[in-house]
Amino acid sequence: MGRLQEHPVVQFRRGKKVTIYFDGKPMEAYEGETVAAALYANGVRIFSRSFKYHRPRGFFCAIGKCSSCMMEVDGIPNVRTCKVYVRDGMQIRSQNSYPDVNNDILGVFDRLDFMFPHGFHYKKFIRPSFLRLFFVNSMRKFTGLGNFPKEEIKERGREETLECDIAIIGAGPAGLSSAIYAGELGADICLMDENPRVGGQLVKQTHRFFGSAEHGAGTRGIKIAENLEKKVREFDNVNISLNTGVFGIYDGTIGAVKDNTLIEIKPKKIIIATGAYERTLIFENNDLPGVYGAGGVQTLMNVYGVKPGDTGLIVGSGNVGLILTYQLLQAGVDVAGIVEAMPVIGGYFVHAAKVRRLGIPIYTSHTIKKAYGSKRVEGAQIVALDDKWQEVPGSERDISCDFICISVGLSPTHELLYQAGAEMRFVPELGGFVPVRNRYMETSREGVYVAGDAAGIEEASTAMIEGRIAGLDSAIKLGYGDKEAEEMRDKFVSDLEEMRRGPFGARILKGLEKVVV
Amino acid sequence: MKMKADVAVIGGGVTGLSIAYNLAKQGIEKVVVLEKRYLGAGSSGRCAGGIREQFSTEPMIKLARKSLDMYEKLSDELNFNILFRQGGYLFLAFNEDDMSEIREHVRLQNSLGVGSRIVTPEEAREIFPELNTDGMVGGAFNRRDGIAFPFPVVWGYARAGERLGVEIRKFTEVRDIIVENGSVKGVVAGEERIDCDFVVNAAGGWSKKIYEMAGLKSFNTPVKHEILATEPLKPFLEPMIVNISAGLYFNQSMRGEIIGGIGTHSEPSTDVSSSFEFVKKFAREIVRLVPKIRGVKVLRQWAGLYDMTPDAQPVLGETEIEGFIQANGFSGHGFMLAPVVGELIAKLIATGKVDPLIRPFGFNRFRDGIEPEHTVVG
Ligand SMILES: Cc1cc2nc3c(=O)[nH]c(=O)nc-3n(C[C@H](O)[C@H](O)[C@H](O)COP(=O)(O)OP(=O)(O)OC[C@H]3O[C@@H](n4cnc5c(N)ncnc54)[C@H](O)[C@@H]3O)c2cc1C
Ligand SMILES: Cc1cc2nc3c(=O)[nH]c(=O)nc-3n(C[C@H](O)[C@H](O)[C@H](O)COP(=O)(O)OP(=O)(O)OC[C@H]3O[C@@H](n4cnc5c(N)ncnc54)[C@H](O)[C@@H]3O)c2cc1C
Ligand code: FES
Repeated sequence: MGRLQEHPVVQFRRGKKVTIYFDGKPMEAYEGETVAAALYANGVRIFSRSFKYHRPRGFFCAIGKCSSCMMEVDGIPNVRTCKVYVRDGMQIRSQNSYPDVNNDILGVFDRLDFMFPHGFHYKKFIRPSFLRLFFVNSMRKFTGLGNFPKEEIKERGREETLECDIAIIGAGPAGLSSAIYAGELGADICLMDENPRVGGQLVKQTHRFFGSAEHGAGTRGIKIAENLEKKVREFDNVNISLNTGVFGIYDGTIGAVKDNTLIEIKPKKIIIATGAYERTLIFENNDLPGVYGAGGVQTLMNVYGVKPGDTGLIVGSGNVGLILTYQLLQAGVDVAGIVEAMPVIGGYFVHAAKVRRLGIPIYTSHTIKKAYGSKRVEGAQIVALDDKWQEVPGSERDISCDFICISVGLSPTHELLYQAGAEMRFVPELGGFVPVRNRYMETSREGVYVAGDAAGIEEASTAMIEGRIAGLDSAIKLGYGDKEAEEMRDKFVSDLEEMRRGPFGARILKGLEKVVV
Repeated sequence: MKMKADVAVIGGGVTGLSIAYNLAKQGIEKVVVLEKRYLGAGSSGRCAGGIREQFSTEPMIKLARKSLDMYEKLSDELNFNILFRQGGYLFLAFNEDDMSEIREHVRLQNSLGVGSRIVTPEEAREIFPELNTDGMVGGAFNRRDGIAFPFPVVWGYARAGERLGVEIRKFTEVRDIIVENGSVKGVVAGEERIDCDFVVNAAGGWSKKIYEMAGLKSFNTPVKHEILATEPLKPFLEPMIVNISAGLYFNQSMRGEIIGGIGTHSEPSTDVSSSFEFVKKFAREIVRLVPKIRGVKVLRQWAGLYDMTPDAQPVLGETEIEGFIQANGFSGHGFMLAPVVGELIAKLIATGKVDPLIRPFGFNRFRDGIEPEHTVVG
């Protein structure tokens, strides 16, 4: 019911039909779908309940970065369901709810929130001591998410050690480009991604890209990903390891997990190209199922062909918000409007014009005030902002919608960079914490490189060039390539400078000044 | 600038803060705690929170027993809920040698009034049904042992101390100790000199440096100890479990996380970086003991310091330098000893009386023979 059958751009090739069980209830799913997508297609909106107030939880980012979608899968607790594929007979259970996830009696905690301010458990219920003991014991029962596994996993865990010249973490446009250019020079490469396919964010970009033709503009994002994948698979010296999540960098050694195998990778150089995660926004009920990251909705719709709802409200009018609006309409989903806090539209004029032509209202100098609904989004209230960013009293207006997409920007992933020991700085122009690096993308930690959105939020085009530079430089430092390779690397450095010369590059350049040494 | 205090306590961990609180309680007016970073920045904010009275030597059993008594009432005393929970400590042995040691320890503990008892592998499974008893020889269980959450203990002592007039200075590093004619005259903290009659060395893994500032050579050495936490789960584990043969321990925190460690390092160092070796070693051992835990994910890992002494027992009390008081060398047991140490060190400073409970832990004992503590785990 919730699956798209036709789409003007994408053809959904669904796998074999299988049956999965949600809290014991059979549901139809297709191989190649994630558990989250399959449940959503079957109308399931509440996956679990939250830790403290037992508020309903659904998915948010759909790329494994927010932990909002955790459920018990085949007896294993706290599985991010947006990252596992369905299997015939799979048993999926909601967590932290009784008697069921739609009617959770502990939902009353949400109404009693005044009793539990932050840190309440240290300061309340101390005396008399017999009551404290009762309280500590009772409170304990309410803690924890998910149950201890009921069965032992039968398959034994394995350990593997790998050595390579360059380990590349993340196979989005940046990581793929690093692999191609370093691979070309002959370096021995290990390219890892936690997702089951390469391409990173590109796999959901069904639109034609902006930017210069030389760097893929005019081509659809999904096509760019296909081209990069085809190219990278030509190299025997590039070992692509998918479903491989890197969890740590220990003094130059990488720790990763692939299915049941713990992998220890000892590379000579590391390129961190882990992309970014979506930001959220603070407003009343911003955690209701139905409030999603823009990228999450794209993943659901463009990768798995599942309809996010009937009518969406978009928050943020940057390129992502504008493009998403267009993609929703393409898929036959209505858009009630776009809300933008700034007095002007954030994205490119061409995208905005297209959206306007289709009759979608753009509310500039407005923000979202609250979402309506108790178990899922049933509407939203927006409000006008004055020139001091204050709400204009009386300007509230209700919008009828059943889902809300937050597209207020991305923040670079920084965890692995910190672990690697790179010096980090907070640079608002680049989206958050980013590493200090030289013009060849090497961080303050020798041999550790960064590329793409992880180095600062920009575009796929710049991500690819940064990836090439990091790939070339790390291989050159290991003795691969010749004078020509060095010239190529330096040419890409000047290409980047060229690309950033436009009006949209000014902010980026200001940010880069703070971290490029 | 110059300031005058009665007592300067070096270290804003659980030991220093407990001592400061107890000093104020005893009526000492000017107590200042000097902490080079934030409260709990040392091992106190990194430990597993285990509290027990099952030890292997008479002085440790007596000291720990008294501390456990005090933990039972600590939330009331501090007016802060430290989330203390008595789920017991279950020691397990996987070879005859370890088991015969456990038997000996339990005999000694029982003779001193501790209610520990020997358990068979079957009885261990009754206490925690998820245990794999293959190769297990037996163990010991004491219902009265437990865990508390370390942060509220640290904050609780700090708040209660401040209410009584203790001054706490964070981000203030002690750089020198002033000793004249064999007695303490003051400390240099940050840019300032603080005159005082007593200096307490409660600097945890950095205690050796503090001794050196006063010109004393100590036997203390810092050693890295690593620990990790899994995702939080509904309660399924009551006691702290210790596999004495593997050096592994773990419990379930009030939030539901499995918190545990395993001995991995022995070389002296103040490095607290996390290692891959540790996660692998911990995972292997805990899965062997609790096979179903394989489906549970590790959320984070970190490390702290054990301040080790030659006999793995603390250094408590006076030194040949008058006014230079020790409360360090706690190896893996400083958290559980903090209440008793605070009270008795404060009493020593306020009255000059060395309580019989701390007498065996004098600084000079290493010049005589050594009887080490055998159970150096959480
Ligand atoms: C809606 C939308 C529209 C866009 N439109 C355009 C456009 O028109 N033109 C343009 O140039 N750009 C566009 N972009 C931006 C572009 O998609 C990104 O800038 C680009 O994808 C960044 O590439 P990347 O390789 O740095 O990161 P990503 O593409 O995010 O790839 C990062 C990869 O790293 C993997 N990863 C992360 N952490 C780990 C880990 N610990 N272990 C293993 N793998 C890990 C992830 O699974 C992911 O595959 C758009 C973005 C969005 C969201
Ligand atoms: C992983 C781990 C698990 C543990 N588990 C347990 C357990 O289960 N049960 C238990 O009882 N114990 C346990 N321990 C041991 C326990 O944590 C310590 O013994 C205890 O916290 C010591 O407290 P402290 O206040 O003496 O030292 P710390 O907490 O280390 O405090 C010392 C403080 O002194 C400060 N300092 C150092 N030098 C200076 C200076 N020059 N000037 C100013 N300040 C300075 C430091 O910044 C630090 O904050 C564990 C330890 C670790 C590392
Ligand atoms: S982690 Fe699955 S939705 Fe974010």
